[in-house]
Formats: sequence, C-alpha cells, structure tokens
Amino acid sequence: MATHPPIGAELADFLESGLAITIATRDADLEPDGGWAWAARVDEDLLHIILFVHELSAPSLLRNLESHPEIAVALDLPSSHRACQVKGRFESARPGRPEERALIERQVAAFTSDLEAIGIPRALTGGWRCWPAVALRFRVTELYEQTPGPGAGEPLR
Amino acid sequence: MIPLESLTPCFQGLIPAWLCTCSRDGMPNAAILSHVDYVDSRHVALSFQFFNKSRRNIIENPKAMVRIYDPDTLQVYALRLRYVRTETEGPTFEAMRLRIEAIASYSGLKGIFRLLGADIYEVLSVTPIEHEVGLPAAASGASSAAAPTSGLPFTMKALQELSDRIQKAPTLDCLLDAILETVESIFGFRHSMILLPAECPDRLETIASRGYPEGGVGSDVGFGEGIIGMVAEARRPIRISGVLRQSLYANAVAKRAQERGLCPDDRRIPLPGLAHPESQLGIPLLLRGELVGVLCIESEKPYRFHEEDRAYLEVLGGYLAIAIQNAQLRERSDEAEEPPATRLAVSAARPRPAVPAAERRARLEVAYYHTDECVLVDGEYLVRGLPAKILWKVLAEHRAEAQVEFTNRRLRLDKSLKLPEFKDNLESRLILLRRRLEERCPEIRIVPSGRGRFRLDLSSEVVLAERP
Repeated sequence: MATHPPIGAELADFLESGLAITIATRDADLEPDGGWAWAARVDEDLLHIILFVHELSAPSLLRNLESHPEIAVALDLPSSHRACQVKGRFESARPGRPEERALIERQVAAFTSDLEAIGIPRALTGGWRCWPAVALRFRVTELYEQTPGPGAGEPLR
Repeated sequence: MIPLESLTPCFQGLIPAWLCTCSRDGMPNAAILSHVDYVDSRHVALSFQFFNKSRRNIIENPKAMVRIYDPDTLQVYALRLRYVRTETEGPTFEAMRLRIEAIASYSGLKGIFRLLGADIYEVLSVTPIEHEVGLPAAASGASSAAAPTSGLPFTMKALQELSDRIQKAPTLDCLLDAILETVESIFGFRHSMILLPAECPDRLETIASRGYPEGGVGSDVGFGEGIIGMVAEARRPIRISGVLRQSLYANAVAKRAQERGLCPDDRRIPLPGLAHPESQLGIPLLLRGELVGVLCIESEKPYRFHEEDRAYLEVLGGYLAIAIQNAQLRERSDEAEEPPATRLAVSAARPRPAVPAAERRARLEVAYYHTDECVLVDGEYLVRGLPAKILWKVLAEHRAEAQVEFTNRRLRLDKSLKLPEFKDNLESRLILLRRRLEERCPEIRIVPSGRGRFRLDLSSEVVLAERP
C-alpha cells in the first residue's frame, strides 16, 4: 500500500476549516457512490483523517467501505473553490463522541457562513442535521490539488 | 423514477454538482462540476472542460453518480449515470458552450475556461437523499429566490399590446422606448437594454435601457464579451441563472491560470448593465440571419428567467428586429420626402427631462479631440465617433451662423462626417447622441422637430475648444 508523508499544518488547517466535503466510494462492480460529511479532523499522527457523517448517511457508505476500503474525499471552500482531494483506505467507524459535537458544529457554522457570503441564506441551510454523527477513519495515501483550472489533479506536497 | 423534468431548478447551475467516478483499478474519485444540463427525459449532459481524473475514469469505466442540489431547498438528488457519448457540436453542446464562454469572459478567461465537450449520460435512477435537505421539512415549498416555472403572461393579449405599441411608435427613438416599457409592463422584466451595432465592426453600443440608475447609453461591448457579446457572436440566445456562483468557479480557474502565466492580462471587462446580475437573458434580434441588435434583460434574483421566457423572447426577437429595421428605413426615406413644415406631434416625441435652473451650468466648455474623435464637456467624457463629430459640427454651425435647425439629409451629404454610403446608421447615432446629452449634459439638447430633422436647443453658454 502506498504511503503518504504527514499532512502539513497549513493544509490541515484548511481541511478543518468548514468545507463542502464529498465522499466517494465504490462497490464490487466499480459502481461509484457518494455521500456527504459535515466535518473533517486530521488525526494527531497526521497520517489519518476522520470524517464525521450523519448517522443516516453512514450505512450506505459503510456498505461499500467495509468490503472495498478505497475512499476519495473532495473538500471545497465554496466562496473561492479552493479544493483538494484526499484518497486513502478506510480503516474503522465508530459513533461520534459527545465531545466531538462542538468541533462538527463549529465547522458547519463556518461552512454556512461561507455559503451565506455567496448568497445561500441561512434560511436554506437551517434544516441541516449533523448530529448524531458517525466517525469514519481512513489512512491517507494520496493528496491532490483540486482547485478548478490548470493544475487541478496534480499531487499536493 | 422521479421525472428529470421535475428537477429543472437543479439544472440551472446555481449550486455546483458533485461527480463520483471510479477508475478501472477500483479507486473512486469525487469532483465538483460546473454544469449539469437536462437533455431529455432519460439523459443529462455534464460539462467536460478539463482532462482531469474524472474524465480518465469515465473513459475506463462508464459508471458515474452525480449529486445535484435543488436551489430552493438544498434537497440532494443522487443520479446514477452511464456515460454514452461526448458531443462537440449540436444544440446541447452549443447552449452549454455559450453559457460557459459568457461566464469565462467576465473573468478574463475566454479561450481557457471553455467547453471541450458535452458528455451525455443516460440516467438510470434518481434518488432523493431524504436526510440531506437544507430547509426544515415544514418550510419546504415556501417562497424562495428560485421559481420552478415561468409565471409570465405571454398571452395573446400581451402580444397584441406589444404589437400595438410597436406599430404606433412614430420614430425609432420612440420604438426603442416602447419595446423596453412593454417588456417591463407586460412581462415584468425591470432591467433591460437594447444594443445596436456600433461604428467599429464587431462591437455593439447600448442605444436604449430601462431600470438602471444610470442609463448607460453609449456603453459598448465587443463580440464575444459577456453574455451580450456572446449572443452577438453566436447569433443565439443565452440564458444564465446564477451568474455570481458560476463566476466564482470561473474566478477560481482564472486565479490558477494567472499563477501559471496563462492569463497574464487580468482583464475584467466592464460591461453595461447591473453591477451584480444573477440572471441574464440575451436575445439576438435577427433579420434574415443579419444581426440588427441584441435585447438583454437582467435581474438581481437567481433563476429569474426560464426556458419558456427564452423561447418566447426568441420568437419576439425576430419581430423586434423587423420593427427596428423598418423604423430606420422609414426615417431615412421620410427625410427626403417630407415638406419642412411637417412637424412631429408633440405627444409623439419622447418626453425630455427638463433641467432645473438651479442645476443648470451657466457656461460649458465643449472640447473636440481630433485624434480620438471624442467630445469632452468641462473635462468629462461625453461621446466619441460619429455622434461626437455630429455634435461638433452642429455646435460649430450654430456658433458661425446661429443655425438651430438641422436635417439628417444634410448630415448624410456632409463629406466631413465620412458616413458610409450603405447602412450608415445615422438615425441610431443621433439617438445615442441625444440620450447621452440627456444623461450627461442636459444643457445641450437635440430635439426632434419633424421626420429627419432636429433642433439644437442650448440653455447655457457654450464655448468650443479644438484639441489635437
């Protein structure tokens, strides 16, 4: 399995800043599937990322991940479209811990503020439910620039 | 399956979609996508702009899933897709290309941010993700910025009224105003403008506008620049529903391109119209394939204009093109035949804003710059090209001979103006001059005094200055 050097501090800050987070998985027939995560946390070892998804989103994601651990996660800041893609291998899932709720809500609040700045009012995002959450931990194997335009798809160092 | 037709708001580009694909060796990929367009009840088109990982995956493995968002509720729909083919021409490709290039030109990205193909996918299933919705369930269906269908009264009665007003317009000047007034009063479009070909080839100039704090008459746009320029270049209508959010995506591309030296000029094209439009609809006014002008309507609301609006206005565009060209031809033919005593009825003339005495300048300096062929009033730019030369000529004749009455015919015969023999567009140049004066220098007025004639009306002392 490919390994990736530890995630740098600036990138870690960006990944945890409150972003649009889309997860891609696949099944045995290479049929892709997708889901939404509300928050991301770079693990202390800087080699793993933990994604927080709503517990209702978790079953369909886990159905693929538990048999095919390949995972791709795209993280995008809507107002600038600064984005990156993290690829890796799923390792484990567990219920979100109560002490993690504040971290998730902080990232969702930052994300909704960013959306508000581009004209998506809070009235529209008010129905979002990010708790109870399930934490999905995966090991990072690849990191790519994904801001649209030339250079998208190049490895991030 | 949920009918794709019921997801129309999701296909407006208001919220970017996400595309999930998978490589042949089993690694998935997620990528943001600027455009997902409805094609028919079984197919959608995805924009193909860069040779990226998604693109390589699709060539290896045609299976895909796209997540689209309803801009009214933020309800997410997962569409399971199969790649069918890539189109590089045809109506689906063209509609997508024009929209993307119009947005690109706002960001100085023309030629870089462009459509390589419209990837056509068969839709196998549509699944609403029940727990991924923004609006609380009780509030779903509440009014919001986006409306699912056109509520505009394109009725026979409305069309009849438009037709009546157009037929009653005695001059091109009145006709242009009648069109824009009717577009608002009947159809409810508050911000609109008409642009006609300028003197320079491949440029258009705003000749009439409605609903803007500043009229903007005389502002020009090149073919290919923004929605108006793209409409003129392609001679096709373009409808954009979320200019701001689509521009964000293009701006991200622009920033990256600049970092790599691909877009060195950082040029943002100042275009006529609203400072921050969210919805735009541009309609070419075509007569036998020739571009007579462009009608552009705008709104600060996202998804204000619908596909039905585009279709109706496109049909109307042909009618408006005939009306405008007829008015131009009629004014030209009338000017030779009409006896001098004939005057335009006062009621038929366009109402002119009066200048309150307190705001009137007692003395003006009007300077003509020969090199740039432009006129400045008290150091402020007024007009350039033929309208500038006409203004300079009539002011000079007024100073030399105290002349106040002028005819289009005499202008047309004046060699110093260098009017082309064919299609000189003198009438539209005079309208542009008159309206620029109304906006910028109301102390000087060009008042229609009969078909093909006008009167110079000065309410201040005018000092003329010639500059190189």
